[in-house]
Amino acid sequence: MPEIKVTPLGAGQDVGRSCILVSIGGKNIMLDCGMHMGYNDDRRFPDFSYITQNGRLTDFLDCVIISHFHLDHCGALPYMSEMVGYDGPIYMTHPTKAICPILLEDFRKITVDKKGETNFFTSQMIKDCMKKVIPLNLHQTVQVDDELEIKAYYAGHVLGAAMVHIKVGSESVVYTVSVNKFALCHSGAAWIDKCRPDILISESTYATTIRDSKRCRERDFLKKVHETIERGGKVLIPVFALGRAQELCILLETFWERMNLKAPIYFSTGLTEKANHYYKLFITWTNQKIRKTFVQRNMFEFKHIKAFDRSYADNPGPMVVFATPGMLHAGQSLQIFKKWAGNDKNMVIMPGYCVQGTIGHKILNGQRKLEMEGRSTLDVKLQVEYMSFSAHADAKGIMQLIRMAEPRNMLLVHGEAAKMEFLKGKIEQEFNCYMPANGETVAVTTNPSVPVDISLNLLKREMTLGGPLPDPKKPRTMHGTLIMKENLVSSEQALKELGLNEHQLRFTCRVQLQDPHSDSDTLHRIYTHLKSVLKDYTIQHLPDGTVMVESIVIKVSSSAEDANAKVLLLSWSYQDEDLGSYLSSLLKKGLPT
Amino acid sequence: MGETEAVEIDDILDDWFIESLKSYKDLHVYQLEHPTQIIEWTSGKTVCVAGYSSGKNEILELRLPLKLLADEKKSLCAERDFKVVHGGFSEGPVCCLTHIPGTRCVVTNDGLTSDLQLWDLGADDTDVIRKTGSLQGTSVSQAGSRIAARLSSPPQVLHGAQSSSVQLTQLGTGQTLYRLEVDSTEPLSSLKFVSETAFLASCCDGTVYLADTRTSAPPQASPPPGECALWWTDASAAPQCSVIRLSSSGQAVVSDLRNLGGALCRAQLDVQTSPRKPEDVTVAWAPALDGCFSVSGLSGLVQIYDSAGWRAEPQDASPLFQHAGHSVSSQHGDGSAPVFITTHVWHPERPRTVLSAASDGSIHVWDWVDPQTN
Repeated sequence: MPEIKVTPLGAGQDVGRSCILVSIGGKNIMLDCGMHMGYNDDRRFPDFSYITQNGRLTDFLDCVIISHFHLDHCGALPYMSEMVGYDGPIYMTHPTKAICPILLEDFRKITVDKKGETNFFTSQMIKDCMKKVIPLNLHQTVQVDDELEIKAYYAGHVLGAAMVHIKVGSESVVYTVSVNKFALCHSGAAWIDKCRPDILISESTYATTIRDSKRCRERDFLKKVHETIERGGKVLIPVFALGRAQELCILLETFWERMNLKAPIYFSTGLTEKANHYYKLFITWTNQKIRKTFVQRNMFEFKHIKAFDRSYADNPGPMVVFATPGMLHAGQSLQIFKKWAGNDKNMVIMPGYCVQGTIGHKILNGQRKLEMEGRSTLDVKLQVEYMSFSAHADAKGIMQLIRMAEPRNMLLVHGEAAKMEFLKGKIEQEFNCYMPANGETVAVTTNPSVPVDISLNLLKREMTLGGPLPDPKKPRTMHGTLIMKENLVSSEQALKELGLNEHQLRFTCRVQLQDPHSDSDTLHRIYTHLKSVLKDYTIQHLPDGTVMVESIVIKVSSSAEDANAKVLLLSWSYQDEDLGSYLSSLLKKGLPT
Repeated sequence: MGETEAVEIDDILDDWFIESLKSYKDLHVYQLEHPTQIIEWTSGKTVCVAGYSSGKNEILELRLPLKLLADEKKSLCAERDFKVVHGGFSEGPVCCLTHIPGTRCVVTNDGLTSDLQLWDLGADDTDVIRKTGSLQGTSVSQAGSRIAARLSSPPQVLHGAQSSSVQLTQLGTGQTLYRLEVDSTEPLSSLKFVSETAFLASCCDGTVYLADTRTSAPPQASPPPGECALWWTDASAAPQCSVIRLSSSGQAVVSDLRNLGGALCRAQLDVQTSPRKPEDVTVAWAPALDGCFSVSGLSGLVQIYDSAGWRAEPQDASPLFQHAGHSVSSQHGDGSAPVFITTHVWHPERPRTVLSAASDGSIHVWDWVDPQTN
């Protein structure tokens, strides 16, 4: 039976380093290639020895697909392609292709320069890896080869995140990382409705959470900013150029307008340029709010938000500043942080995850004294707030996704086994559900349908044969020849196309009978006998001295050796094989007296 | 087709939202897959909720968001979500659910018969809630049972659908340890322990019985404190020992447990008076705020009143605080029935933390600011 095999190399019952192998219709695909952020040794990478013990992966993989730019999904890509070795195609959406190398380089710098690690990929490796990338457009079918087809759909998790539909023949797999409820409502995502893949692979990390509303998160953000401004403090928000910065800006601008606030809000220029550039490139990927803002007015022509200048950091009084980089590990945001850290009226709001080794990570872990360059110490007196704005699906969202897609089988990765039993049970009320561990292969039997076309002539001929109309409860056998290239045709046409002559098969059988009568009398007796036994069949006594039962011909002649014996000659064509053998056995028993 | 995830920014910043920046210390808004009629504490950090539709329903044990519970480290915690720590399936609706203190067991009733179902919530090794047994009730009525429990060894449960059928049953053996000797067959609106052995059985008609499980002596009965057909009751434990009775017309009467017949004070609450069913309304004393109580189901809001300062002569009372979150954030414009609040509970220790649930599946966790302290 045909099957699709799925093996998580990382992220099976484990959070971090997503990497899933799929074997479908003879093709091998790697979905994501992530890094486990919690380990500092080789455990941070997926275990590629599962694919092959020695050497390069190129011959073993048909393609690699990356779902989005988060490091736990693409962090091990340069390691895999340049250090383990893979030269085949790597597919990802345009935004992912633009953002990945930036994050990978940042991450590499922090790991090697700050933490002093060796055996890590180099900047050149990142560049070489990205050269192998083939960008995907949304809703565009890509033929990886003449059998494997892939298509990307909007997933909404972060900019550029995609759900992927993989098809080989009539078997298909859909891989989704974390579907945003929004993505399910978005007009572009209506495709998933009843797409019925053989397997739907999804993360279950957030399947056991029930998410607090976006509104409440924004409320908390505004409350914190407002309270700080009211007491005369300054708010620093370190951001990544393409993270939530733009949305938070729009939120603050509207709030400032509503509350008639006067404190200045600044956006550092480096951020502006980069953001403008990316948003122009990826305008179709952003949500309507941002698009409206960008199209109606230039991104940063806000009434209350102005471009930042370094010197403003020393101005007295309340203000809000958005600056890069997001983890406070270098650059402008770190400079501002150093200036403002000593005042307890100030606040820094961290809108996302910070990699180990960065200042962001340290202060989020409660560190209040930081060692800076030149052995100086920085006392952290300002308020540190950690806020999460990431838009991922929750329990309800995942069930919605599954019910819309209607997969034949559901496969969950990225969760802990003991905490997933209830979810598995819930899904199993409606669908098959698997939850493999790392290195464990799930083989799902598929039942691919093979479409067959039928020639019109054949169909017409069957209809003219008469009898009852086709009935689903009473299938009728028909004869034809299936040419595997095209359609079901009549035998004559098949023979014609193949240049063959039709051959008729006839069987002959001799039966000895003891019968003293004349040949014609014996024949007559045979005729009478058969007529009484085979009431449903057409039996004829022909003037040429033969008896015919359907197409079976029976002749009588006298035996040369024995005067009282007769030799019956029976002859039938292949189609009447059953009847023919029956007759010969019958006649062997002799005739009634 | 526009974005349907959240309303546009300008709509988000509506009056209620702006107000909430000052009026709530914390506010969390969640959407369950199915609405719940019960919220029951199973520990200081976890609650149970369950569906009440006619077919199969889920029972979920949810852990409160870490950010809400983290006191000193609050600002460093970004975790705002509920976590489903355990889940299970019930064949029928769950209209009443009570946790048996000191155990991982909960007892449920489907609101249709007086039978009870027993469940094991599960420990760390599994996340599945399993049914472990059932207890037969004694009522022949069509109404569901009320359930109450307090810490006892071995575990026991107090239950009954009517005043005539209240009994205390041992969970392990199913043995009946005590029966309330009352002839009247009034349906109960609530059952609550006020001490280790004393409990209050409150009827829908406003009558309350104070009884003790150690004695077979007849209970103290107190007739309805006013003219109204439908009442709800709550009692606070020692040292306050107050009993509040609330009528469907919005009359609130506070008495001392030791003198049920005498009303300490009365007030007319600011509520809408329209026909109600017994299960619509919840009235609850705040466990950590003297004299404060909350009401839901008589208007589209959760109202908090302060009864300190109420006098014996009835007066009009205005709520100290109102939570309008459910009606404000419900899905508008599709012509369906207005959202109503199905239940609410106070956190047992945190003074102003309340959880409320509504018919649209929403569940809110809020920590309100006392408007009087400014």
